[in-house]
Order: sequence, then structure tokens, then C-alpha cells
Amino acid sequence: MFWRRSNQSLNREIEDYLDRETRDNIARGMPPIEARAAAQRKLGNATRVKEETRAAWGWTWIERLWQDLRHARRMFAKNPGFSAVAVLSLAIGVGANCAMFSMADMLLWRPLPVANPAGIVTVGSYTATEVVDSLQISYPDYADLRDRARSFEGLVAYSLARVRFAARAEDLPDVRIAMTVTGNFFEVLGVEPEFGRGFRPEEAEVRGRDPVVVLTYEFWEQEFDADPSILGRQVRINDTGFTVIGVTPEKFTGVVQWIHPAFYIPITMPARLYSDSKSADPMGYLTERDSRFLSVKGRLAPGVGVDQARAEVATIGAALSQSFPKTNRDVRMGVRTEREAITSARPGVGALAAMLMTLAGAVLLVACANIASLLTSRAPARAREMALRLSIGASRPRLVRQLLTESALLGGAGGLLGVGLGHLGVALLDRFTFVSDVPVVLSIELNERSLFFGLAMALLSVFLFGLVPALQTTRTDLVSGLKATVGSVFQKRRFWGRNLLVVGQVATGLVLLAISSFMYIGFRAQLTSGPGFRTDHLLVMEFDPTLVDYTPEKTKQFYRDLTAGVRSLPGVRSAALASFLPMSSGADIRQIAPEGYEFPAGAGTAGVMSSLADESYFETMKIPIVEGRGFRSSDDAEAPRVAVVNQTLGERYWPAQSPLGKRFRLSGGEGPWVEIVGVARDSKYNGLTDPPADFLYLPYAQDPRNDMILMVESAGGAAQLAAPVRNLVRSLDPAQPIYAVRAMKEFFQGGPVHNTVLLIQAVGAMGLMGMVMALIGLYGLVAYAVSTRTREIGIRMAIGADRGSVLRMILRQGVALAVAGVGMGVLLSIGAMRVLVAVFPPPTAGGSGTLLGYALVVPASLAVTLLAAYIPARRASRVDPTVALRYE
Amino acid sequence: MPTGRELNRIDLLQGTLDMLILRTLLFGPAHGHTIAHAIDRGSEEVLQVEHGSLYPALHRLVRQGLLSAKDGLSENNRRAKFYSLTAKGRRHLTAESSKWDRLTRAIAGIMNPTGEEGRS
Repeated sequence: MFWRRSNQSLNREIEDYLDRETRDNIARGMPPIEARAAAQRKLGNATRVKEETRAAWGWTWIERLWQDLRHARRMFAKNPGFSAVAVLSLAIGVGANCAMFSMADMLLWRPLPVANPAGIVTVGSYTATEVVDSLQISYPDYADLRDRARSFEGLVAYSLARVRFAARAEDLPDVRIAMTVTGNFFEVLGVEPEFGRGFRPEEAEVRGRDPVVVLTYEFWEQEFDADPSILGRQVRINDTGFTVIGVTPEKFTGVVQWIHPAFYIPITMPARLYSDSKSADPMGYLTERDSRFLSVKGRLAPGVGVDQARAEVATIGAALSQSFPKTNRDVRMGVRTEREAITSARPGVGALAAMLMTLAGAVLLVACANIASLLTSRAPARAREMALRLSIGASRPRLVRQLLTESALLGGAGGLLGVGLGHLGVALLDRFTFVSDVPVVLSIELNERSLFFGLAMALLSVFLFGLVPALQTTRTDLVSGLKATVGSVFQKRRFWGRNLLVVGQVATGLVLLAISSFMYIGFRAQLTSGPGFRTDHLLVMEFDPTLVDYTPEKTKQFYRDLTAGVRSLPGVRSAALASFLPMSSGADIRQIAPEGYEFPAGAGTAGVMSSLADESYFETMKIPIVEGRGFRSSDDAEAPRVAVVNQTLGERYWPAQSPLGKRFRLSGGEGPWVEIVGVARDSKYNGLTDPPADFLYLPYAQDPRNDMILMVESAGGAAQLAAPVRNLVRSLDPAQPIYAVRAMKEFFQGGPVHNTVLLIQAVGAMGLMGMVMALIGLYGLVAYAVSTRTREIGIRMAIGADRGSVLRMILRQGVALAVAGVGMGVLLSIGAMRVLVAVFPPPTAGGSGTLLGYALVVPASLAVTLLAAYIPARRASRVDPTVALRYE
Repeated sequence: MPTGRELNRIDLLQGTLDMLILRTLLFGPAHGHTIAHAIDRGSEEVLQVEHGSLYPALHRLVRQGLLSAKDGLSENNRRAKFYSLTAKGRRHLTAESSKWDRLTRAIAGIMNPTGEEGRS
């Protein structure tokens, strides 16, 4: 707009000059036509005047940029194939990286939403044989640590708890997730409440004294419609009146990454009647040194490094072991940075993210190689253009700028499209769901960090791989550049580089394809072999009678009545109780000491996943007992203690023997002896892709617990049983809360299966993309080689070569590259596979899966690479000698 | 495209042309045509300024803030662009003309040294 107005004004100005000069000339007596011509002579070249005047405006760089962009657009429009392949390659590479980065960011790198997150570390205790390595600690240990450690500005402890919540006294309570925290929680983390206040340190010191609650922003919005007059309101938590004293800021979503609690209450308030408490005192956890359920975060004091803190905490841990040998003998204390904490708590996650990132990186590499080979293959043609432009007076910087503009346009288009693709990928990955009885928040998002990452990747790769050939092009020797025919400017040496590029590309493509088919086959095998338990005709729901203040005795009676009642309902085949729902990642970890087993030094016990189960469990869940027996109703509190182990556990501690009749001790080797009476077949426990793991079943009657899961096997549709079971529970106790009612099939399909399928798709897609792009590169190179040799082919044919021999000649070149690439790829992928197998133990199918992968990948990639070489070779053999010789 | 050598020549002319334009406008606002002829007349037609080269110079001076341009109506009721000197332009002209004076005196001193006069 501004541009056009300025131009109009300039035109008018020049016109004005010509008019006046003409008038003056006429006044001097010239005839009108001559007068106009004289005026024009006097002015000079009007176009040049205008051009130079425009240059004086200082906007020329925009004008030139515009010119360059128009030129670049014309160049791309003239070579639509080239442009499409380049932009698409880049888009795919960037998109894959963007999506994977977003996921890795969500899994590993997103910092805690607190002030200065870099100074926050995780502190806690562990034993040498922990299964889930997440540094939990007991309250007394925490208190000692807090009082003795000098390396920290502050240490906070917290724990998630399920509570009953009612906004008003007359409302029926709902089950919510609360976070119980120490009084210094907000202060140490540097979280300023949105309004109101956080806890004061003294508010979590005396048991039951301070009924105050801080709501999360999310909960305040949902439950109270963001009511600004919320402060001072009374709410009921576990039937106790609490006063709302504050609301957390919106961006503080909590310290547990995937779980957003509804509110925070002091750790000294009775949030839950801890069922694992060993004494009758419901709040005994505040004094029991072996109730290790708290998580601790610390803020390092200024100038204190992680190693220093680590040393101090280890020393305090050792001192505590000395002072309290009964509870702390094998317990060490450690410090982890946030990243270490995340990766050690979920080792699979880090490996998976690294794997996917590597795959995506390889895809981008292939994409870049593609662009590089595309650009270099155009270089000779461009060299003539550049030589021509240089010879008619273009400056070298101007040409470099032109080429840079082209690269930027390419990078920009590819990058934008890539970010769009990444967005799609993220939308796909965001369907990743975690099933659990607490509200898990997994928000994979294309945040500005991944956006920046994607665009930076795109521009970097284009400049790197586009500018180098561009610079070479402008360094052309003018004379030879103009004289030369296409292709002869570049020596054999150049061709070598390009060949290497294609070999590398095919090799990378093959590695990608091999890895992804390995993972694909592995995941598929796990998917089709099933989880090892029943998922159909099964209704599950969870109970926790302590929420309505049942005593342990009353709870046991409730479960007895419940199972008996449910079993007599019409349409119910069987019903069972368990403390763990497979695939919900909520298994208890028990420390066991098998009789006669020698642990490595420093460890006396091993942590294993375990579940309580009643006598119907194995039948209802259709988990076969391969040896011995399952539980019986006679395995009650009075009977000798028994256990069922899975095959993996049995083989680990009693290799090549039957575990039947063998014994172990519970509770860190101090507990009673337990005899193994049965071996259950291995099944999946936390996820479909997990490697086999130890698992221990204990009878519910010998180790009763409050929160249990009821599993009902139905004759017909599982969901239809929900209403009758609910009615039954209501008839037992109308106040009894039921939660997480679901059909196992949906739960299973929605979570584990769904996630595995997504993984399969992501991995498979990346392998395919990599290989396809490598093939495009190969095709492009052979096609280019053919086009540069048209003349030579013409001569060969003119002096008697037949089509077949030309075809063979060209094909030989392509095949050599393809075979070299495939060979290198196989070698590389064998190496990569070693790493892969170390990280992801192969599924039961094992090696045959890998072999099958090769059997598919190698011939397929050979065949397609041959095809990529054949098409241009065939075209070459069709060359008409007369046309080829006249060509130029 | 201009080569390096051409650019140098334009640079050399630029300073003086700018100065001449500024000097012309000292008497009041004028439009392009008037300025061109004023320079022609003032130099008694000795300086052959290609009138076209005036416009880039005018626009550059406007961008540098030495001149201001205003659309106005000329005597024959046509829309024309009037250029006038800004305060900055006035200061610039003073500085330039004293520099010019020194330059011409120095050149004159070299071209007509008193010693040589005596010999001829």
C-alpha cells in the first residue's frame, strides 16, 4: 500500500517535471512534439531516474528480497518435482522431530512449575534391591534429615492421598486426590499463592490441629466456578471441617508431573487412615520409621552442588542406619536431580524417549541428505546460470544472497509444513492414555520450545546442506562455466562425494527400517500373545471402606458380604478380590528374603511386585496355575502363611527346581516365613511391552487390607452388571463409595493396547519415512547421473552399443550403490540391534522376530533400490543417439 | 547493475549536488523543475546537471532529514511536490559551505601559487 503510493507520487513528480519543461520549451518557441522530446532528453532515462530515486528511499533491500523471493518461487515452480521432494522431505524430518521432541519434553525435560526449578532435587531413601526406584522416605527419617542436613535451603515432604471431599456439609462426599504436605512446602518451592496464603511452617507440626486447605487453581475453577470470595469458606474433607486459606497459581500444577491434586492439606491432618499403618493408630505413620511413603524435594542452598548434598545425605543415612538398625539396616539415603529422578523411577520411559528421538533424528538426517543431494545435483545447471549472471554484472554477494533466499524459502516452507505435521503427530501422541485410578494428566503439547526446536532444525539443515553447494556454485570459474556442457564442470571427485551420500542414505534408511521393524514385530508379538489374563467379561471396581471410617474388622466383614452377595447375583459367573488391577501400575512392592538365597553384598532382601488375592482370583482372571495350587478359603489368618509366585520369580530364586514347598520371609526378612504353594503363569503387570518381571501373590485373608478391587466375571456383557452390583453395595451400606467402575475390556483396550498400537504406528511410520526418503535420494542421484551422461550414451549407441548394454551399464552403477548401502545398513543395524536388545529385552518370540525383520527388510530395500535405479536406466536406454548428440 | 567504478563517480558528484540543492532552497520552497533550472541559471549554464539525477538526490536528502517534502498546489493549479529546507538542512548547508570554501581556497592555492605568478 505504502509502496504503491510512493511509486505513484514519484511518477507524478517526474510527469510534473516533463510538463513544466515542455511548457518552457514551447514558450521558447519549439513545436510541441519536439518540446516534449527535448524535455525527456534533459531529464535523462526516466526509468533509471525512478529506479535510482527508489534506491534513495532505502527500501531496496526489501525490494531485492522480494525480487529474490519471486525468483526463487519461479525456480521452484519450474522444478515442481524437486521442490515438492525437498519441502516434503524436510517437512517429514522436522515433523517427526517436532512430535518426538514434544513427547520427550513432556516425559523428561519439562521443568517443575516452581520458582527456579534448577535448584530442586529429590531426596530419599532406597535399598539395594528396590524394584521401582523412586526414593521414598518415612516421616521420622524425613524429620531427622531436615534437621541435620546443611546443604539445603529447605526440604519438603509430600504424599498423595485419596480423601472424601464435600464443598458443603450437606453434600454427599466425592473421592478426590489431595496432597498432604509439610508446612514449608510452598515457601521452599517458591510458589506464591494466586491469592490468600500458603501454609505456615508451624501449621504442619501438631497432629490434627490445623484444618486448613489450599485449593489448586484448577479445582477452584471447576468446583467453585472461580469464586473470588472463597477464602475463609468451610469445606469438609474426610468429615472434618477445613478452612480455605488460599488458591495456588494457575501455572503451578504440582510436583508430581502427571497427577494434579485437587488441594493441599497439612501432612499432620488425618487425610487418610493409612491401611498399611502397622499400629492401631491411624496416624502412626508420623512416628513409624519404616512407613516409607513420603516423597521429598529439597532446594539446594546457594553455592552447594548436587555432589556435596549427596555426600552429606549419604552420611546422615549411614548415621540413621547405625542408630535405628531395626528399621534402617539396609536403607541408604540419596539425592537425585529432577532428571535422574524421572529416569530412574521409570527407566523404560527414558529409553523409549531416547529411542524415538534417535529414530526421528535419523529421519531428519536422511531428509537433509536428500536435500543436499538434490541441491548438489542441481548445482551444475545452476553453475551455468550463475556464470551467466556473473558475466552480465551481478555481484557475488548478491548471488549468494539469492541462493540464501532460496534456501530460506525452502527451509521456511519445509519447516512450517513440518511444524504442521508435528502438530498432527502431537495430536496423535496426545491420545496416549495412562489408565489409573487417579486422574492422570498427560499433556503432550506443541509448546513454543518444540516449535522453536522444529524451525531451528529446518533452517539449520537447509542452510547447512543448501548453502555449501550454493557457495561452491558461485565460485564457478566464469569462462569454463559458460563454455562447459552440463556435467563436465564437476569432476569425478564430486561424484564420489555424492555416491557416498547415497550409500549412507540407503544405509541409514535400512537401519531405520530394521530398527522399526524389530520394534514393530516385538510390539505386535506382545499385542497378539495377550496380557496373560482375562480381559473380556470382566467388570472391575474399587473400594476403600476407611473412607467411611470402617474399622479393619468391619472392613473384612464388608468384603465378605460383598463377594458373597455378588456371587449370588444373576449373570455373575465368579467374583474375586485383589489389591492390584493388572495394567494399572499400582502393585505393592514387598521386600522378600528367600530361604537359602545369597544376595549380593549389602542387600538382604529383594523388592518384588505383589498383589493380595482371594481364593477366586486366579479362576476369575483366568491366570493358569502351572504348578501346585491357587489359594483356598482355608488359607486364612489362622492357617500357615502361603504364597503363589509367578514363573519368573520361581526361576530367579530356585533355578532348575520346583519352587513348591520353598520358603521366604516377608517384611525385609524379619517377617514370618511364607511357604510357596503354587506357581502362576507369567502375565503382564504394568504394560504390554514390559519384560517379564517377578510377581508375588499373597492371600487376602492372611494380610487384609482396606482398599481392594472387586473383579466380577459376567456371563453376558460386563457393563450390564454395573447397576446390580451398585444396588447390592447400596443395600450393604448406602454411604459406601464405589469408584473406578469399568469394564476390563475397555480399560485394557483404552490404555495398554491403545498405547502399544500408537507406539507401533509411530515407530513403523518413522522407519518407512526414512526408507522412502532414502529411496527418493537414490532415484534422484541415478536419474541425475543419467541426465549428465546423455551425450556419452548417445555416442555409445551411435557406435553400436545396444539398449541392453546401456541399461546394464547404468543399472550397474545404481546397483553398486544400492548393494553397498544395504550391506552397510545391515552391518550398522546389527550394531544398533545389540543396543536395542539391551534396552528393550526382546519379547518371547526373541531372535526369530529379528530374523524375520531382516528377511523382510533386506530383500524389500534391495528390490526398491533396484527399481529406483532401473527407472532412470531404462530411460537412458531409450535415448535417441541423434537427439543426444545434437543436445545442448 | 552499476559497477564499482560508476558508484565512485556518483559518490564524488553527490556531495556537491546536495550542497547546490540545499543552497538553492535557502531562498524558499521550490519544486524539482524550479530547482533544476535555478542550478542551471546560477552556474550560468556551466554546470550541466542532468535533471534526472536531481530526483534521487532530493529523495535522499528528504530521507536524511535535511529537506522536507510537502504536496501543494502550484501556480497552474496542479499538484506538485514542494521541497523546503529543514533546520537540520540549514545547519548542514552552513557546515558544508564553509568546508567547501576551505577546499576551494586550498585548491586555488595549489593551482595559482604566488611564486609561480612572479615567474610567468
